Amino acid sequence: MFTKQMISSEIPMLMSKACEIFIQELTFRAWMHAEKNNKSIVQPCDVAKVIMQTDTMNFLTEIIPNNLGDFSVFDAKEENIANIAEENEVSLSFTAGFMGNPMMKMDSEENAGNIVEGNQATLPYTSGFMGNPMNMMNMDNVRMK
Amino acid sequence: MSDAPPSPTHESGGEQSPRGSSSGAREQDRYLPIANISRIMKKALPPNGKIAKDAKDTMQECVSEFISFITSEASEKCQKEKRKTINGDDLLWAMATLGFEDYIEPLKVYLARYREAEGDTKGSARSGDGSATPDQVGLAGQNSQLVHQGSLNYIGLQVQPQHLVMPSMQSHE
Repeated sequence: MFTKQMISSEIPMLMSKACEIFIQELTFRAWMHAEKNNKSIVQPCDVAKVIMQTDTMNFLTEIIPNNLGDFSVFDAKEENIANIAEENEVSLSFTAGFMGNPMMKMDSEENAGNIVEGNQATLPYTSGFMGNPMNMMNMDNVRMK
Repeated sequence: MSDAPPSPTHESGGEQSPRGSSSGAREQDRYLPIANISRIMKKALPPNGKIAKDAKDTMQECVSEFISFITSEASEKCQKEKRKTINGDDLLWAMATLGFEDYIEPLKVYLARYREAEGDTKGSARSGDGSATPDQVGLAGQNSQLVHQGSLNYIGLQVQPQHLVMPSMQSHE
């Protein structure tokens, strides 16, 4: 059925450069999203958000894990500051038992830090959650592969 | 805690083609090397920007999907026109068709520079992976300038094709 096809010698070079541009475009947009949320680390949820918001990246929606999709729903709620505090309380209790959303927990942690007292509040929250997100992320990775 | 997912830091995917094996392809054959992806991602970020490991993994999957997406479109076009070899123009046409028009201009400039460099060193350039490093280094600045003049938002595009080996594309005939 599938006829054997060949590629000209310029294809690998051309595709390599196209991939570089693609990676940098996606990374830059993800960085914009991370910065908007006062973060200096690009997370998978930032990439997922860009994929959902950018038309040309729609072909990637299938390969984004469901939990990252849930994340974007949560991100949408961040726009209303009044709701953030309530969402955090709810999110914290939810994420405690919800193993499907490891990234949400980390995000809640940062938001809680920002909302409550800034730096002082961030440290105890971070130390408290330090081990759990990593464990869940590892389990999540294992499950996905 | 648990074992880290295997991510090859060296380019080892070129030796075996996924099409050659009937069983499931290994991860190192399905994805580009994560170290190279990481380096390219960092070029798009300011010095204080960092990238989570998981984000690199996500990008690894995204770029492989991008290659399949573009190549499938180009392949279909060739089949309709009953041609057996996918050429650069087919690839550029596919990108324009699929919404990546912004990529066409920098790629055409890059292709022109590549052909000039190829003309200088006929023998080594033909092999594909044998592109001369001095020529590539010389091209980097020019490409960056031209890209910036085109008012694209990419930061410091540089020419390093030898660092990106796409396993599924390694069919030199």
